[in-house]
Amino acid sequence: MVLKDGSKMSKSKGNTVDPQQLIEKYGADTVRLFILFAAPPEQSLEWNDEGVDGASRFLKRLWKLVATHLAEQSSLPVLNVSELSAEQKNIRRKLHETIAKVSDDIGRRHTFNTAIAAVMELINELSRFNDNSEQGAAVVREAVENIVLLLSPIVPHITQQLWNELGHDELLANVAWPVCDESALVRDEIEMVVQVNGKLRSKINVAVNADNASVEALALADDKIVANIEGKTVRKVILVPGRLVNIVAN
Amino acid sequence: MNEEYQAQKIEEKVQKIWDEKSIFRAVEDPAKEKFYCLAMFPYPSGRLHMGHVRNYSIGDVISRFQRMQGKNVLQPMGWDAFGLPAENAAMKNKVAPAKWTFENIDYMREQLKRLGFAYDWERELATCTPQYYRWEQWLFTRLFKKGLAYKKTAGVNWCPHDQTVLANEQVIDGKCWRCDTAVERREIAQWFMKITDYADQLLDDLDQLEGWPEQVRTMQRNWIGRSAGVELQFEVDGEAPLMVYTTRADTLMGVTYVAVAAEHPLAKKAAADNPELQAFIESCKTTSVAEADVATMEKKGMATGLMAKHPITGEQVPIWVANFVLIDYGSGAVMSVPAHDSRDYDFAKAYGLAIKQVIYPADGSDISVDTEAFVEKGVLKNSAEFDGLSSEQAIEAIADKLTALNKGEKQINYRLRDWGVSRQRYWGTPVPIIHCDRCGTVAVPEDQLPVVLPEDVVYGDDVGSPIKKMPEFYQTSCPQCGGKAERETDTFDTFFESSWYYARFACPDADVMLDDRAKYWAPVDQYIGGIEHAVLHLLYARFFHKLMRDEGL
Repeated sequence: MVLKDGSKMSKSKGNTVDPQQLIEKYGADTVRLFILFAAPPEQSLEWNDEGVDGASRFLKRLWKLVATHLAEQSSLPVLNVSELSAEQKNIRRKLHETIAKVSDDIGRRHTFNTAIAAVMELINELSRFNDNSEQGAAVVREAVENIVLLLSPIVPHITQQLWNELGHDELLANVAWPVCDESALVRDEIEMVVQVNGKLRSKINVAVNADNASVEALALADDKIVANIEGKTVRKVILVPGRLVNIVAN
Repeated sequence: MNEEYQAQKIEEKVQKIWDEKSIFRAVEDPAKEKFYCLAMFPYPSGRLHMGHVRNYSIGDVISRFQRMQGKNVLQPMGWDAFGLPAENAAMKNKVAPAKWTFENIDYMREQLKRLGFAYDWERELATCTPQYYRWEQWLFTRLFKKGLAYKKTAGVNWCPHDQTVLANEQVIDGKCWRCDTAVERREIAQWFMKITDYADQLLDDLDQLEGWPEQVRTMQRNWIGRSAGVELQFEVDGEAPLMVYTTRADTLMGVTYVAVAAEHPLAKKAAADNPELQAFIESCKTTSVAEADVATMEKKGMATGLMAKHPITGEQVPIWVANFVLIDYGSGAVMSVPAHDSRDYDFAKAYGLAIKQVIYPADGSDISVDTEAFVEKGVLKNSAEFDGLSSEQAIEAIADKLTALNKGEKQINYRLRDWGVSRQRYWGTPVPIIHCDRCGTVAVPEDQLPVVLPEDVVYGDDVGSPIKKMPEFYQTSCPQCGGKAERETDTFDTFFESSWYYARFACPDADVMLDDRAKYWAPVDQYIGGIEHAVLHLLYARFFHKLMRDEGL
């Protein structure tokens, strides 16, 4: 059901919005995006004009993302996963988490609104990522191409054009759906909390496979912790693997 | 790359490429996993509304996603093109319904194309074309020969001014939606589909529909409404016994009256020398036959003066005529237990009828029926030999007793009624039947199908169906004896067309109802539409599926 101002859109109430006018003003992709973003299928769709503007702005942003990327990159960067920095890996992990989520949202849950939201989030993260190195550009390239693929069932026209701009000749409808690279989801480092006498004092990044002794050493070498335990005697170090280090000192 | 996003230009260009390459054409390929995605096809009302755009966007995303998963996807589109709005538009604008409908289809097709939906347009169908409806006429004649389609007299809403039958939805506050005339209840001969023969299958097979939303399955279960109960009789002096059905045989000893429908033979008989009762029965004719209306309307009744004999106690209880008893439901008579049924209670209070409590709470607590009925199950009292039994035990004991007395027996009942498919409207599929004075009701032979609906009709101010006034349509000869005969001028309920279109999309050009392509594409893997279709449309579609299966299709 489609609602406007809280009541059902109907001719007899005279509160209808004619889709034809919207298509003529914004284009089909904006109308499709707005409608699918506004509510999951089993809920009523509440109409609002700002929602259509928002959908239109998002597509302009998507367009600009690809245009900017292409303008900055004259040659096609080649991704080499083993050479990535932590930040580059983070972007890549976010991309593949998004691929997994969008696949599940569209294929199984039919919650197109959360699928779109996940892609928006990825684009936000990408816009904060300023890395002009070759591998940085390669990571952005991979993300941009997959964003185009993930959005293609929802906004099939703009994505087809962007796909061509990215140097692909084929019809997007005939391209295989992206697959989540499980290895990209693996985190090399995890963040652990460091406490002194049960109070949070710092956070440290440790390698996922680090042994207890090296985690303890890292915690005790942390600048904030060093300052905090200065003049005290460390009595005991309690370690909860993967989560926290508590230093008992007096 | 252009700096600016130019939606209109891009969309036009991309759609042209899709179109030229026919990339959304679906071709059967047994080597490939198929995916059939269907959104409920629209009525061609004129323009797409937001609800359409929403449904079709959802279907398109799923279709395109499944295609990118490597599946062979079928996503068709067509038109549920028969129905009353075309006739109303015809009267208003003096344009033939066919012309109005096809113009709307042309406009809406362009709208759908403009939205970029990945349809296989080569499979497009419109249900108002003989190429489509001839096959449901064919199926109907087969079902008629099997006894699954039959004609019987039934109560309908009748507008005396417009001289036509109205659907329940077209009766607003007891008046015709178009001319505001008070609607009457009228008995006319109509065609029915024997869906009740399939009630068990339709119910039991719900368990196998694992992909269906639980809400839809529950609604269908409730609609079919299978109940285990007892059918029993109340003898009436000098008359045929009154048959009633109850799921609460445990309350039988609390019966204080019996109620019959206004159209019941006993009511008519009693009214013969009772003008007041006659007037009351007449007034019942203006009430709606819609179940929802019956549930909420004011309950009215009048005593017939006749008595019925309780099957166990032998006590005489009065027979009343009541407006809430419908002749088409069960036998048109109900036993009334005011102490344990809210509706019977209100009625008894209004007319000063006896209230006899026979069920008490099982936990021994005290309960009074002075202000309201006690409708729960419990333990029997005031029930002679059945005192002390629980409701469940009493149902068994009373059923056994009635069986022994030869006055009743256990019976499974359904809330589901046979499907009335006759419409006295013009813009629909003609019922393929010929009435002959000598041979009776005869199905149109296969080689004379389709019975084509004349499209070139003129609408005056008269709202009746034009084909009922067209001798060139209804005058014909009997296929059996060759003598003069008349065609049926009623048309099918438009739910007929929407009950099987999903299968026809698999083979829209077949010169049989369905061919092997239907086996490849069936079942629909994803169906998209509103929950308001959970019962009627989806139940009829399941019914047709079984009918077509039983025809070997």
